[in-house]
Amino acid sequence: MIQYIIRRLIHTVFVVLAISLIVFFSIRLTGDPVAIMFQAGEPTKEAIEEVRENLGLNEPLIVQYGIFMKQLITFDLGESFRSGLPVSTMIAERMGPTVLLALGGILVAILIAFPVGILSAVKRGTAVDFFGRIFSLLGISFPNFWLGIMLIIVFAVQLQWFPASGYDGWKSLVLPSIALGMILSGILARLVRSSMLEILNQQYISTAKSKGIKDWVVIIRHAFRNALIPTTTFLGIQFGSLLGGTVIIEQVFSWPGVGRMIIDAINQRDYPVIQGGVIVLAMLMILVNLIVDLSYSFLDPRIKVGGSDK
Amino acid sequence: MEEPILKVENLEVGVKKDTGFMNIVNNISFFLKKGETLGIVGESGCGKSMTSLSIMDLTPASVSLKSGKILLKDKDLTAMRKNERRKVRGKEIAMIFQEPMTSLNPVYTIGYQIVEMIRNHQNMTKKQAYQHALNMLQLVGIPRADEILHEYPHQLSGGMRQRVMIAMVLSCSPEILIADEPTTALDVTIQAQILELMKSLQEEMNMSIILITHDLGVVAEMCDRVVVMYAGEIVEESEVHELFENPKHPYTKGLLESLPDVDEDREYLSSIKGTVPSPSEMPEGCRFAPRCAFASEKCQEDPPVFRVNQKSSCKCWLFEDSTAE
Repeated sequence: MIQYIIRRLIHTVFVVLAISLIVFFSIRLTGDPVAIMFQAGEPTKEAIEEVRENLGLNEPLIVQYGIFMKQLITFDLGESFRSGLPVSTMIAERMGPTVLLALGGILVAILIAFPVGILSAVKRGTAVDFFGRIFSLLGISFPNFWLGIMLIIVFAVQLQWFPASGYDGWKSLVLPSIALGMILSGILARLVRSSMLEILNQQYISTAKSKGIKDWVVIIRHAFRNALIPTTTFLGIQFGSLLGGTVIIEQVFSWPGVGRMIIDAINQRDYPVIQGGVIVLAMLMILVNLIVDLSYSFLDPRIKVGGSDK
Repeated sequence: MEEPILKVENLEVGVKKDTGFMNIVNNISFFLKKGETLGIVGESGCGKSMTSLSIMDLTPASVSLKSGKILLKDKDLTAMRKNERRKVRGKEIAMIFQEPMTSLNPVYTIGYQIVEMIRNHQNMTKKQAYQHALNMLQLVGIPRADEILHEYPHQLSGGMRQRVMIAMVLSCSPEILIADEPTTALDVTIQAQILELMKSLQEEMNMSIILITHDLGVVAEMCDRVVVMYAGEIVEESEVHELFENPKHPYTKGLLESLPDVDEDREYLSSIKGTVPSPSEMPEGCRFAPRCAFASEKCQEDPPVFRVNQKSSCKCWLFEDSTAE
């Protein structure tokens, strides 16, 4: 197990190296940051040169990359071209809201999708299943920005139960979490339903029933417990992509997350912020996947992580 | 004769279709005495598994009971509420299945699954239940039972898993054990051990067994009485010696002839011509007639069950002259 984790962490180093290469060079194809900075006025050539010199943009690309990597090894992500703040501080500030929103979204998705998926499977072919499947389809088909705006109109503007935007206490977390979770719950409910259907046909479910235990105990303890294995994989991957992929929701709700920060940085060609943001997200994603992989051995005793033992 | 412990009367089980009710099990009746082993024999698809699942109330959702009674002593199981019926399962009637490899839940330990069964029906503390589970594992001859208790199903072989299943279903001392092809999926040597084990536990616990199988060798080894099923009907019911020495129904004869004989040197085994009709295309009258070498005009009409002698009865016009039941 320990050996496995170490091996995975070594992989991580190579992945980060590859990502840093791609990000570093690709953003430099998008245009000159200094030109954007001076969009408004008519700068002198000297002024432009001075800024370029200060930001280290006059060095050859390969040297710039070298400097970037050297800093990265010491966990120094550089400073923002725009604000001059250390990128690590900026990310640290934004990471909290992002993780919170991702967790909120997943929580909402679980609360909706687990009951819907389980009921759909158990009551297969009945009205319950029909509505469950319609619900999943709606969840999958809704554009999430539309849902977000609808939620704001109904619950923030009309009813004024929750704030429409911003990041201020748990109340402000509710609407964006629902917007995010509803979309996710559609896919999740389908996954839970199909896994449950497959498992309910297994012989050990007949065995469990033949023991005379209550129906819901059979469904939850024997069937759903097994359906958790594919579900956890899905949620793990989703959590990773939610960290970086909630941009639209963050935009709609003015949520101060990492996704929005990176989008802003791209618009402004703020190289260090883009690089830092992408690399930190990538590392988080790898970490989450590692945790998901490790969780298998707890969920499914047949899986021994790392192929050790026996 | 003592009162049978289980009586199945005119049981009809089938699937509701747009075109009407399609019978899988057609009007069958049989009984089971205390301490005896009743074999239910027949080809796959003859309804023997569906019969046992009906007794357990474990039929698939699409299958329903149309009519008939299942009497456990004097209680009619079919008249019971779902919840009462559930309490019978495992406590009074227990069942083991064909596939020991997939019969146990892969994510729980052996001990957990046995204890779940015990605590469901008996008022025991966790500790007592684990002790009882350990005793049961030792009873079915599992080595290092105290370790196995904490292991998962995938760590055991098929034969071991079937032993665990037996230990589990017998942990609440059921009066009836239904074994649906319990040894079909196992190696021949393991088969013999499992059958031996079931036999000795049956004596020890004074339990009745319904053994569902297509293997006549197993029947000869284990059973006191046999019910032969064909296309959803019981065609013959007989004591086991009588069945092998003096089979009545042409179908039973065909089954026995298809067994290899050590003394005889034959290149091919004989077989019954044709195939089992599907439930949607059942022939009128006797269902075996189209494949039967003795079929006559009379077989257009559905034969009743004739009691041939003290030991056997048969659903075939050939025995019309015997006193009808």
